Amino acid sequence: MSNILSEISAAVIAGNLGDIADLTEDALDEGLSAEEILNQGLMPGMDHVGVEFRAGRMFVPEVLRSARAMQKSMDILKPLLVESGTRMVGKVVIGTVKGDLHDIGKNLVAMMCEGAGFEVRDLGKDVAPEAFVDAVKEFEPDIVGMSALLTTTMRSMQLTINALEEAGVRERVKVMIGGAPVTQDFANQIGADGYASNAAAAVEMAKQFVGAA
Amino acid sequence: MSERQPIVILACMVFQELFKRHLPPDLADEVIFFDYGLHRVPGKIASTLQMQLDSIKTPSLVVLGYGLCGNGIKGLRSGIHTLLVPRMDDCIAMLLGSRQAYKHQFAETPGTYWLSKGWLESGSHPLKEYQEYVERYGEEEALWLLDQMYQHYERLALVAHSQEDLERYRPEAQEVARFCQRWGMRYEEVLGSDRFIRRLIEVAQDLSKADHEFVVVPPGQEVRTEHFL
Repeated sequence: MSNILSEISAAVIAGNLGDIADLTEDALDEGLSAEEILNQGLMPGMDHVGVEFRAGRMFVPEVLRSARAMQKSMDILKPLLVESGTRMVGKVVIGTVKGDLHDIGKNLVAMMCEGAGFEVRDLGKDVAPEAFVDAVKEFEPDIVGMSALLTTTMRSMQLTINALEEAGVRERVKVMIGGAPVTQDFANQIGADGYASNAAAAVEMAKQFVGAA
Repeated sequence: MSERQPIVILACMVFQELFKRHLPPDLADEVIFFDYGLHRVPGKIASTLQMQLDSIKTPSLVVLGYGLCGNGIKGLRSGIHTLLVPRMDDCIAMLLGSRQAYKHQFAETPGTYWLSKGWLESGSHPLKEYQEYVERYGEEEALWLLDQMYQHYERLALVAHSQEDLERYRPEAQEVARFCQRWGMRYEEVLGSDRFIRRLIEVAQDLSKADHEFVVVPPGQEVRTEHFL
């Protein structure tokens, strides 16, 4: 692998905000494409961060710093990716469900989906079922992602799925859910298509849903 | 059974004081409190408790001073023991005295950051985090990180179990509150209740009293999220 790509990965892992923009520019100057920088520099860095977080060797603030570094590089790469017509692999609508204000995990998933080539519409936090329905109708995503961090608000996921069904759009999308109290059993129970236990797994699942894995 | 099983209590440090106040002196054969820091690492609460459980050789009634804690105790296997678990989302409901009391608070102000004696002492609050992050990453990044984590909170609430305790922890809590004004958070004090801890201790002495507020996990089974829904 090119040296500069591993430096970019390392900068993402270290959350090194000072160097990431310069490294990205340098990589472009070396003739690497935005897509190569994304797939072979940024994503391996974030994948590593995901593994370290699950293992308890990295904590939330460090993961956030890494995501911010990645975002900073993405700000440079995004126009180039659009310009070069690099395929958008699919569309994702994402939000934290009604009643719940926690959005760190959801933001991370949104950012990493974007990094993986998805067009993402982030509906924010405390998102009512009807707002998910409206977004599905308007944006026509492949995937709807929902997050909840409380056992008390998890039930909003069920209500959102019900609302999608009632609106007749449930079959048009894959629904994936996540958040600390959420489990695979719960996903099965409410009829979600998938459950992801962390941001990296969510992106993998999203890619599988659109056949881009 | 003529003789009751030995009782072992495995609890989070946030409950140390409440147990100390209400636990009859010779009820439990062993009482172990675990560090707050376990919450920071996914899976660490369950693995630490599991190790402790597995090291108890006599079949016992193991009383947990933990709620579901964001699936923190999910997958915990009872082994040869019986587990008595509060059917609570986390420690806040227990400190407030009931799930109902927590729901009431949540309905009023969902964006509440809770402070208690335990969490203040362990330094798990935004001001302490700010100080740590500034040292590690500098001012700009520290504030950015905290904004990411706390910008949606509306209220900082100190929960304590007596007027004296509220007064004792007020100065420190207010210092945190001044910092949290950055996000427009208001400061409030909530008098908690020892009702639930007293019930937990009561039920530990007579499992037949375990109702919807508790999960009893018989030997050979495990804690599941569904128990708490």
